[in-house]
Amino acid sequence: MGFIVSEPIDVRAIEAEVSQQSNGAVCTFIGQVRTRSRGRDVAYLEYDAYVPMAEKMLADLVERACSRWDVTVALKHRIGRIELGAASVVVCVGSEHRAAAFEACRWCIDTLKETVPIWKKEVCPDGEFWIEGEDAVKAG
Amino acid sequence: MTEPPSTSPAAPRLLGAHMPTAGGISKSLISGKAIGCTAIQLFTGSPRQWHHPPLDPEVAAAFKVTKAETGIAFTVAHDSYLINLAAPDSEILERSRKAFRRELDRAEALDIPWVVTHMGAHLDSTEEAGIALLVESLRAILEETEGYSAGIALETTAGQGTGLGYRFEQIARVMEGVGPHPRLGVCLDTCHIFVAGYDIRTKAAYEHSFGEFDRLIGYDALKVIHCNDAKKPLGSRVDRHEHIGDGEIGMEAFRLLVTDPKLVHVPIILETPDSDTMHAVNLDRLKRLAASQSLGIRVKVRLFGHFSDLSDTVEEVDLPANSTVADLAKLLGERDARLSGLQTACRAAVNEEYVQSTAVVNEGDEVAFIPPMSGG
Ligand SMILES: [Zn+2]
Ligand SMILES: [Zn+2]
Repeated sequence: MGFIVSEPIDVRAIEAEVSQQSNGAVCTFIGQVRTRSRGRDVAYLEYDAYVPMAEKMLADLVERACSRWDVTVALKHRIGRIELGAASVVVCVGSEHRAAAFEACRWCIDTLKETVPIWKKEVCPDGEFWIEGEDAVKAG
Repeated sequence: MTEPPSTSPAAPRLLGAHMPTAGGISKSLISGKAIGCTAIQLFTGSPRQWHHPPLDPEVAAAFKVTKAETGIAFTVAHDSYLINLAAPDSEILERSRKAFRRELDRAEALDIPWVVTHMGAHLDSTEEAGIALLVESLRAILEETEGYSAGIALETTAGQGTGLGYRFEQIARVMEGVGPHPRLGVCLDTCHIFVAGYDIRTKAAYEHSFGEFDRLIGYDALKVIHCNDAKKPLGSRVDRHEHIGDGEIGMEAFRLLVTDPKLVHVPIILETPDSDTMHAVNLDRLKRLAASQSLGIRVKVRLFGHFSDLSDTVEEVDLPANSTVADLAKLLGERDARLSGLQTACRAAVNEEYVQSTAVVNEGDEVAFIPPMSGG
């Protein structure tokens, strides 16, 4: 099963992957599509990824988090068209104690944003914009 | 023998530079050989003087011996800057014609097959009148030097001031006016044609501009190429030469030129600045580009974010062996200016691993340019 999916993400199913009874804590981060971005109304988002490289990097990221905090990690990132309010990314961390779960979960989403080759395009009433770091670049 | 010697198409590409003659004209051959030239250009007299002492037969003989010793296969002379074969002032015109005849005399004595000349300037007269005078000058000189081997190569110019020869049509009209002659040819200068408005920076632009040259003048007439990058932009009509690949023209045009199968038999001469230190460097750049044809590699390029809208997102690109990721980004930027941000705004990955821009790419690699990301 890949980390990059094009269907809606089933959050409960991912949580279930890390909720074995030895874990006293499960921390879930959900990134979802918001209605306003940089002062513009957003109609929906389109995500694109360099899929083979993103898969490799996410596998590596999960492995590093697991060994660093001794936790269990499950995550999915969705690509393609995503409607307002729907989840674009879900990170679930299961751990004996909550501190490690919070810390590892935060590290996973931060590292993903910084290093994994995925881009979003905001589709707005006034045009489409690729989000490249701090910049919104008109698409087309 | 009336036909100037020409190089066989099977021979390797003759490549060299304009070499200084301080210390005697034979020095141009020796210093040319030292940096790996197989062709050189020289001034046979001082380029800023009207009068030169007659060529000493011993000096001429020594030049020919040195040429044989150095194995420099092609020599070409450039005429004095003072000569204006289209001058409206009859005194200057006569002086120019005499001086140019002496240029041909010296070339003949030195076994130099071509003397390159700029086409002159019409100054306060008209283009039409200038071309007519130039045709008359060339006819007279060719007639007076009948039986010579040394011929005249008209150089494409930058179009500064009232200079003639910056449109291929003008050169075509002069050649038509003189009539077909085995001792009348053309020298194409890449810097000059570029600043005169002929774009050669992409494959399409190169093919269009050289296609125009072939259609209007003909490749048969092309006897020597001056290879110079340009400090000033396309169409600026300002003639400032720059090192190969460092100017407004860029490396891709020179790669297309030195690998153009239709032009392999035409000698190439550099006239780039800082001859002492940089001729060897520029020569090496051309040689590497020429070698890239046989040693070239093909990589797969992937673009993302807004760059994916500008070009095919997956593309095969040919480039010289030992190219780096930065070279590839530069090449793509030269082919399409909208991709110039690949160099500055993107990280690169080779075969799905991040690399530095100095990383060398290999045959079959997949190179991805990764703009700032926005996953999450
Ligand atoms: Zn030139
Ligand atoms: Zn020039």
